[in-house]
Amino acid sequence: MAELTSLIDKQDSFEIVRDQLAAILATETAAQQALATAGGEDPLLWKLRVYSERSNPWEQFLNGPADKSPLVNVWYDNSNFIEAGSSVSERQKTAGTFNIDCYGYGEAADVVGGGHNPGDREAALIVQRALRLVRNIFMAAPYTYLGLRGLVWQRWIKSITVFQPGMDNRSVQQIVGARVSMGVTFNELAPQVEADTLEYVAIDILRAEDGEIVAEADFDYTA
Amino acid sequence: MSLRELAESDLAITLEDPAGFGWAITLINPAGTAASLRGQSTDISQIIDPDTGQVVSGRLAAVTIRVASLAAAGLTLPQGIAGAESKPWLVGFDDINGQAYTFKVAESNPDRALGVVTCLLEAYNG
Repeated sequence: MAELTSLIDKQDSFEIVRDQLAAILATETAAQQALATAGGEDPLLWKLRVYSERSNPWEQFLNGPADKSPLVNVWYDNSNFIEAGSSVSERQKTAGTFNIDCYGYGEAADVVGGGHNPGDREAALIVQRALRLVRNIFMAAPYTYLGLRGLVWQRWIKSITVFQPGMDNRSVQQIVGARVSMGVTFNELAPQVEADTLEYVAIDILRAEDGEIVAEADFDYTA
Repeated sequence: MSLRELAESDLAITLEDPAGFGWAITLINPAGTAASLRGQSTDISQIIDPDTGQVVSGRLAAVTIRVASLAAAGLTLPQGIAGAESKPWLVGFDDINGQAYTFKVAESNPDRALGVVTCLLEAYNG
């Protein structure tokens, strides 16, 4: 006989955190672009194209590269459950890792005054610009708890790794990938036993004219 | 004529013949000297792995040119130019539908035994 009598139709916390990470990036990069426009700067330098849990090849990135702004893919990697901070029944303190992969696309370009701008360096600088935005957004004070205070204990960027393009990637395009490994400690919650009602307790709270609070206990029981 | 010399002279047919796979290619050196040559070109899709575990759809483009034709046009062997202070070697050719593309020579692989050079190309916004 099944013990769980209600449908498990909630999101787990790791899903909520993952979606929140992507939402924060999308919101803040849009805000940064608006600020750049207002300040007379090129807003594309603050643009990130944010995706979540993508695993298909990035097709439109290169085969129609009218928009060369960097791509960001937020994906859930793993969780470790911390016994010391958890309860055996309801709440598990969880150390999760979310990878925020950034991709920079660079194209060699002519410099009118002389020389040229190499594509490999351009790709590296673009992905590093994306890393700068991602790190600053997530480590900003308003996002200490990722906007999920009560669910999230802390967020911490554990590492940033830039991948050297492989020697076999003799592509027309220059692509550099980088990974921000984001550690988030949060609570995972599990379905609980639905208790039977023993007694209803009602308390009336009265406020006296002088502001004094007077509580009146009114026990309504059936026994 | 040795077999190697014969193979080199056959490049006029196997590599440069417009009735065969010979394709019009423009080569421009860093000084701006251009030459119209014939050789073989390729521009196909390729998967790029940036080591994140997720691949990116990309392109692989290359040309193969007869070294003797380069010399006859007054050009030296092309090479990949890493320094930003210099103009790169540029290659231009049309795809099969007539769309023109310009590339930078990223890497030059000469075969001095046979007398051909294969250039791996990189997108160039010129």
